[in-house]
Amino acid sequence: MILSPAERSYLYDSLAQSPPIRPDSRSDHQFRPLEAKTAFLPGSNGSARIRLMDGSECIISVKAKVVLASQESSLIECDIDIAGFRDDSNFVSNLKFYLTNLLLHNFPVRYLKLTSRYAFKLFLDCIVVSHSSYPLSLISLTSYLALKTTRLPLLVSDVNDEEIAEQPTFSDDWDNAKYIDDYLKEGETFEPPIFITLGVIGPNLIIDPSTEEEQVLENGLIISFYNNNVITPISNINLATNSNNSNFKGLNRTLITKGIALGNKYCPAIISALNTLIEQDDEEGTIF
Amino acid sequence: MELYSPEGLRIDGRRWNEIRNFECRINTHPNSSDGSSYIEQGNTKVICVVQGPMEPALRSQANSNEATLEVNLSVANFSTTERKKRSKSEKRMVQLKTTLERTFQQSVMCNLYPRTLIRIDLHVLSQDGGMLAACTNAMTLALIDAGVSMYDYVAAMTAGLHDQTPLLDMNGLEENDMSTLTIGVIGKSEKLSLLMLEDKIPLDRLESVLAIAIAGSHKIRDLMDSEVRRHGNIRSSKLAS
Repeated sequence: MILSPAERSYLYDSLAQSPPIRPDSRSDHQFRPLEAKTAFLPGSNGSARIRLMDGSECIISVKAKVVLASQESSLIECDIDIAGFRDDSNFVSNLKFYLTNLLLHNFPVRYLKLTSRYAFKLFLDCIVVSHSSYPLSLISLTSYLALKTTRLPLLVSDVNDEEIAEQPTFSDDWDNAKYIDDYLKEGETFEPPIFITLGVIGPNLIIDPSTEEEQVLENGLIISFYNNNVITPISNINLATNSNNSNFKGLNRTLITKGIALGNKYCPAIISALNTLIEQDDEEGTIF
Repeated sequence: MELYSPEGLRIDGRRWNEIRNFECRINTHPNSSDGSSYIEQGNTKVICVVQGPMEPALRSQANSNEATLEVNLSVANFSTTERKKRSKSEKRMVQLKTTLERTFQQSVMCNLYPRTLIRIDLHVLSQDGGMLAACTNAMTLALIDAGVSMYDYVAAMTAGLHDQTPLLDMNGLEENDMSTLTIGVIGKSEKLSLLMLEDKIPLDRLESVLAIAIAGSHKIRDLMDSEVRRHGNIRSSKLAS
């Protein structure tokens, strides 16, 4: 919904107060409620769906394919399809770049190696059925769930194929398939990287701005979080993509450090909420 | 591979006249659309989301006599066992999209909504035969959920011919190996609003294939109707309380 000048001014003033007053009465570090479902696509290695209360919805499938590692430039490939947008539009290619770039640099790719020649390549395909606010954090949280619930078939052939050329063979029993988590060493946990969006308004930072809030923000911050730390890339962006935002201005550098601190403080809670969600998601096979 | 055994069993254990597991839901996306539905026909899974009738973004899309239907069909890259990148401008996709648009332009009472646009987004999550049929059924349910006036249900079903035997509701393996016919039936009648045959069926066998497909469509119509009624009862009980 596009706001009128009077509504914009009212919303700006309430968000710029300290503490900010948000239209849906959330506190500044609170996410919108979401519902999620995992492992509902029998044809994929992993799948997840997240729906926000405003109706934004994203479905992600992870498919693995055995490839010759030497012939591939990367072992992860992402693709994003957003209803109502062309695949070659700036909006879609930016989102695709953000997600691919994050996963390429922050994913334990070594665990995808099967033998000295062969490896799994993961294909992440994302469908955004509908969205109102900037969908990057929605996509990224869904990809977290999909990757966490991805199961790869168990390799039964020899790992060492340097001397004898051998195609990898896998256990027929799907019950033997392992989560990526299971490949990791003792003490390590597999937590894929996530993005969260922060809105900058006056002296305040608000997590997960809604579509109305995006229209009055002075700037937007995208921060990424991996291994219990805020990591690079950290970028700023105009989150209001469907209206011209007249409030948009430069970013005060102290707000970047504030944003990093905010991320370090609240992202672990997001991660643990998603992990609990996976544990509680017992009913299998149905998407809705 | 034996698609139809001498004992009369198909590759997935069905008889010739049995349909696959059919599940449907309507109003699956209440907050983001005017009408929505989800269909599972065996392993074929389709989400349908309807927006409208609404004012079109472009004046050129407005027809002063009737509503314009816009179908966007997107088949997910992961919908088949082997992942494949699909483009929306592929010839087959454009063909399916126009087939759906033309079918529903006749079945929806478009004259009641002049100068409006009804946008229908179809997402195929998984395909295992009968994609056009599943899309048609999903569109019917989503349009009903959106409250768009229609003459009757359009229930679609596939049937094929194996040697002399007609087979109902083909799965992906059968569809690849046999000639397959997709029909859309108006309600409980025997009137067809959609018929698609991409290869050949001998003319003297066509009648038996059509007959079983129509019978299957009637069954699908009943299943969809019971879901619509179930949802209607939930809504009316909310109104009463």
